[in-house]
Amino acid sequence: MAAINFGYSISKPRAIDVDRNNLRKSDEILREMPELQTCIGCGSCTAVCTAGNLTEFNFRKVHTLVRRGEYQGAYEEMNKCMLCGKCRLVCPRGINTRAVVMLIKHKLGDL
Amino acid sequence: MTFYAPFCLPFILGALSMFAIVAGKWAVWLYRLPRADKMAILRGLPSRATLDAAGETICESLLHRRIFRVDPLLGYMHMSLAFGWFLLIAVGWIETVAYLGFRYVPLQGHVFFKYFATGLAHKPFFDFVMDLLLLFVLSGVALAWVKRLRSKAMGMRRTTKHVLGDRIALSALWLIFPARLVAESATCALYGGGGFLTGTLGGWMHDHLGVMASINLEAAAWWVYSSCLGLFFVAMPFSRYMHIFTEIPLIFLRRYRLRSGEKKKSYDRFQVEACSRCGICIDPCQLQNVLEIDNVQSVYFLRDRRYKMLRPEVADNCLMCGRCAAKCPVGIDLNTLRLNSRDTLRNLPDKRRYAYLKEIDRSQGAGRVGYFAGCMTLLTPRILTAMEQIFTAAREEVWWADRDGGVCCGRPLKLSGETDAARKMMRYNTDLFRKHNIATLVTSCPICLKVFREDYALEGIEVLHHSEYILRLMQSGRLRTDRGDTSYTYHDPCELGRGSGSYEQPRAVIEAIGRLLEPADTRENALCCGSSVANTAISDRQQVALARNVAAELEATGAETIVTACPLCKKAIARGAAKEVHDLAEIVAARIRR
Repeated sequence: MAAINFGYSISKPRAIDVDRNNLRKSDEILREMPELQTCIGCGSCTAVCTAGNLTEFNFRKVHTLVRRGEYQGAYEEMNKCMLCGKCRLVCPRGINTRAVVMLIKHKLGDL
Repeated sequence: MTFYAPFCLPFILGALSMFAIVAGKWAVWLYRLPRADKMAILRGLPSRATLDAAGETICESLLHRRIFRVDPLLGYMHMSLAFGWFLLIAVGWIETVAYLGFRYVPLQGHVFFKYFATGLAHKPFFDFVMDLLLLFVLSGVALAWVKRLRSKAMGMRRTTKHVLGDRIALSALWLIFPARLVAESATCALYGGGGFLTGTLGGWMHDHLGVMASINLEAAAWWVYSSCLGLFFVAMPFSRYMHIFTEIPLIFLRRYRLRSGEKKKSYDRFQVEACSRCGICIDPCQLQNVLEIDNVQSVYFLRDRRYKMLRPEVADNCLMCGRCAAKCPVGIDLNTLRLNSRDTLRNLPDKRRYAYLKEIDRSQGAGRVGYFAGCMTLLTPRILTAMEQIFTAAREEVWWADRDGGVCCGRPLKLSGETDAARKMMRYNTDLFRKHNIATLVTSCPICLKVFREDYALEGIEVLHHSEYILRLMQSGRLRTDRGDTSYTYHDPCELGRGSGSYEQPRAVIEAIGRLLEPADTRENALCCGSSVANTAISDRQQVALARNVAAELEATGAETIVTACPLCKKAIARGAAKEVHDLAEIVAARIRR
């Protein structure tokens, strides 16, 4: 019997080696935005996201990867954000998410 | 009669430098105006706008009428310095003509006329009038000293912290008139004449100082007077006092319908340098009076921008609520200037950006009335449900633009300075509205409303906020409600009130279903909820502090329910309030007559 396709899949297994990644930009971001360290990864930001509703954009995933030093494609992903601000209203830790978006874009792309 | 003495030199050099620099600045700014602006000036020059501008110049640049509305004593201070000095110059010229007839007199001959006119027969009338005017100006200087020591006495809780250049110009200005008083009095002590002020003081000098001392004093005092004038004139084009001459062309250009936009342009220079740094914008700022942030207000923003030391921390830290702009006596378009500064700091044209904005039309239904909930309304489903009930009760056929997800209106992105990217969203939504052929566009979000009205090209589509739409339904009898005895207080959202000028419609709706109680700061003075999308700098804790402050004022009215007309304000105020906070649509939907 063919499995029903619910539209979900399992991510490919992979490991992030934080020791080998260059954390300079990640450190800068956390220094300028220390409140990002209080993120509990609940994903509320992503659940309400206007851009996330229309695309695969996942704010929680992108900022988590950036903090681990995985910058590949992060700038392009962040540029999908419309900055509407819903994520900021729902964040249970009160993180200034719009400033996080702007900061990550500034550090990784706007030069 | 020769109109020259060595002491005139500082004044002459200062005046020449001032006129040259001011004329140079104006020439460059005007030359750099875009062609459309130049055409607007040419069209406006022979029209009524010129007369109106001249009238406004007298009312504002000389009389400072708008400052009188802030505080009468503060208004008097500004008026006595500006209008008083103007009259001293104007009546001084008439005085010279009265003494010498119509003949050429060099500039310093007018300004230092008392010094040169000692040999002429006195005209007591002019002695009296000139003394009266000098006293008028001196009273303004005295008040300016009082204001520096105790600004509260002048209706200002806080006054501007000035940079060094401004302090030098300010000190020179304050010394000009006392120096003039001493100089003219010393001349009177030696040659007689003078009115009730200079004549009396001169008589006293004559009696108590003796002739030698009076001669020395006279020589020194005219040098000091001329030097103060010279120093002030040299500092003037580089200091806050550039506003004296810049406000005049600004008034004319504004009457010719020149406006600042989301991109910087030459007209902005007139606005930036027309700021006198009076500091009236400081008190209305909630970041100042609730959060005690005191380096980001419009006066400091304009100063930093003018001297090219604007940092993103200052440019970004503003709610853009518009409370300061409503009070600005020069009428500077503060929000737009801050917006185009952010554009300069952050806008990056990127062709690939938002490539995903195609074939994502998730709209539902069909009808000539389109409803755009907006991101914030989608986050407050009670407003959405209430709107649905209202549409059903009024039997309106509605096209739902974004109930199942849509593209943001673009205003939050624009407010953060990414104006080119915001245009892509605006184009996408415009095409969507056109495709579905709607005649009316209703939105529940004042942020969307403002951008629809100002930045979208929606000719043929009427854009309404839901408060305006609901009021229309009620007035035409399509929506019938029952009046209850609940008392409501209403919070004016910034983007709806000051931003779009809608104060009456929400109030009319509330009054139709209950009793309306006004908070202390209302309409043009209404507070901001603190969660404005224009601010990316303040923290969550600071947003809550602002919300508590607003909520306390709303609750002080004693109303049972707090009502607002913006989903963002609703969410923001609810975080600081003990009472229930509802959107206008919710309280209407609850009172629909079945």
